[in-house]
Amino acid sequence: MLATAAVALSVASFGTVPSASASVKNSSSVTTITWWASPISTSGPDLRKVLIGDFEKAYPGIKVNLQTAPTDTDTNRADLVTTISGGATTPDVFMGDVIWPGQFGAHSLALSLTKVMPASFFSRFASGLVAGATYDGQVYGAPFFQDQGFLYYRTDLLKAAGLAVPKTWQQLQSDAVKLAKAGTVKYGFVWEGDAYEGGTCDFMEYYADTGGQVLNATDTSSVLNLGDVTKVLTFMRGLVTSGASPASVDTFQEPEAQDAFQNGEAAFLRNWDYAYSASQASGSKVIGKVGVAPLPTFAGRSYPGYSNIGGWNLYINPHSKNISADTTFINYMTGTQAETVMATQFSEIPTNAAVRANPRVAKLNPPFAVLAKKRLVPRPAQNPNYPKISQAIYTNMNSALAGSTSPSSAAGNMASQLKAALTSSGL
Amino acid sequence: MLASTEIAPSPPAEVPRKGDLPRTHPDIIRRNLARLGWSFSAPALVVIGAFTIFPILFSIVVSFEKVNVTGSGFSFMGLTSSNYSIVVKAALWHHALWFTTVYTVVTVVVELVLGTMFALVMERLAKGRGPMMALLLIPWSMITVVSAELWGYVYNSSYGILDRIFPNVLGHPFSASLALMFADIWKTTPFVTIIVLAGLVMIPTELYEASEVDGANGWKTFWRVTLPLLRPTLGIAVLFRTLQAFGLFDLPYVLTTGGPGTSTESLAMLGYNTMFTDLEFGPGAAVATTTALIVLVVCLVFLRAFKAQVGKEVINA
Repeated sequence: MLATAAVALSVASFGTVPSASASVKNSSSVTTITWWASPISTSGPDLRKVLIGDFEKAYPGIKVNLQTAPTDTDTNRADLVTTISGGATTPDVFMGDVIWPGQFGAHSLALSLTKVMPASFFSRFASGLVAGATYDGQVYGAPFFQDQGFLYYRTDLLKAAGLAVPKTWQQLQSDAVKLAKAGTVKYGFVWEGDAYEGGTCDFMEYYADTGGQVLNATDTSSVLNLGDVTKVLTFMRGLVTSGASPASVDTFQEPEAQDAFQNGEAAFLRNWDYAYSASQASGSKVIGKVGVAPLPTFAGRSYPGYSNIGGWNLYINPHSKNISADTTFINYMTGTQAETVMATQFSEIPTNAAVRANPRVAKLNPPFAVLAKKRLVPRPAQNPNYPKISQAIYTNMNSALAGSTSPSSAAGNMASQLKAALTSSGL
Repeated sequence: MLASTEIAPSPPAEVPRKGDLPRTHPDIIRRNLARLGWSFSAPALVVIGAFTIFPILFSIVVSFEKVNVTGSGFSFMGLTSSNYSIVVKAALWHHALWFTTVYTVVTVVVELVLGTMFALVMERLAKGRGPMMALLLIPWSMITVVSAELWGYVYNSSYGILDRIFPNVLGHPFSASLALMFADIWKTTPFVTIIVLAGLVMIPTELYEASEVDGANGWKTFWRVTLPLLRPTLGIAVLFRTLQAFGLFDLPYVLTTGGPGTSTESLAMLGYNTMFTDLEFGPGAAVATTTALIVLVVCLVFLRAFKAQVGKEVINA
């Protein structure tokens, strides 16, 4: 509550202390940078350490210190904001969410990469990614790996029940109800409905399927369509009341949804790219029984439905004392070698267009095979007040899902809080 | 009185100068003791100043400023009172205030009743009071975030043991609030028990003997002897618990993230989110300052109500 000043104080007093034991000779030729990143791979070797090892081999003059960041994206951001606004020179490079460029750019919490990278650097990325990392004409993040929403389903259950992969949300709902009611599986469809950032991701997918948008073209005012939002919230609540999804889906984040699916308790799962490899890792009860498809859409709209864009960028701390080492590191991490390791050994969706186009990469991972068919919708993150915009979306979505607010009044609250968020006239 | 023309005789060397008092004079002793006291408490005062007083003052200053947070720190854009009007008008703040108040009243009352009952039992334990005390202290000695994570497993809607009996506890505003209160009561009742036990031990046994001689039964003895003499202790327990409960943060932060919707968002969480998620440091500081002010007023009222008793208690202790 009153921690701001204390944090500023502690930041000031814990400046980088030069290691006294470092040998005098050769020490000047090695630059050490600190990389702040939350864990990426959930099983097997640590992707971050593998990439650091490769990088240090390629650039012996630079040593990378890994600093593990919180896995919760909001806690991660809060830590970074206090650290950087307190003037800390480390971390030098930080891995940050794709939804941060607006806020970090507007508050100069990240260095503009446009100013330190050659223009040619940005042409390596798959289309749309650089635009997503841009705020007010400056690129703040180098796309590191991407993520998208996928529909995972149990091939064995669908086959036994004679069901095809659903192409509409309504079909998915009735299939899920059928499977859950027949008792072949505990839950029909599990997804992320908690009051948190992931709730906004899931909401955006349904909402984009109605043709709806949240902000206007310049990301300055709300164009939320109340009728469509009500329709979407009614459908989401209907998933619970019809028995397609468990009532507890309003407390589900990715781990809860993934656990239910991996333990063989759910027929359908909406999750990110990592869900496939996680569901095939040892300990899973659904090895060899998982299919992946683009998300469905509402009946009457063209298939497939929209998938939300997630993923992580690499940003530079504006106080970093080693900008040239930082740019070398970012250049390597987004280059073909590192991105190929990520895609082939860790099944992350590469941001590097050349790696993504490599047919060898696409063959390795079932989710990659459906990438080309998908339609993508970003979150309205280009506005610096995005955290408030997102809160307006996920808290009201969550209330409607829990049944504590009717879909129409939740839609009304969402619209008014969105307006307040854009004008900064409320909490 | 000496006339102005007369010259005052020069004082003998042994006699102290005019105005000075002998070293053994009570005033000197008091002054020296005070100096000693200040020097002993100086380190603690510096720490309190740096980590309590300064942040509080800073927070109050921030709450009256238009603040811009940038990579180079805070910049103050001018004085304003709009932070407070933003906060006071916000529906989120109204709800957080209501939730925090209800939460505080319910948990403090339940913990007080349960804690007193436990303490009465503990006081009567002839054997094994030590081990019982140790057992009782386990919940209290646990860090709140850790115990919140444990309750997270208990309430978990996929595999939580409580989920079989009360499904999806954290998924509804009312049951989620109850679940938070329950976890708080489980953790903090031992604290109240210990305070009350200390109070019970201090009640002279003669009073109980006298009430027995007068023919009072157990129930009557409790209401006429135990409770009145326990009032100062209870006052302290209420004060501590109210202060703590009103600053509720870690339990909902871990267990519900303030959900469903914003139904379990406490004032402290609202302040945190406003500052560190939205980077609205002015309004966030205003949330913190108003919360502190409310707690201060409530505590002053308590202190007044319990004044005589609390004063006595402190002297006895």
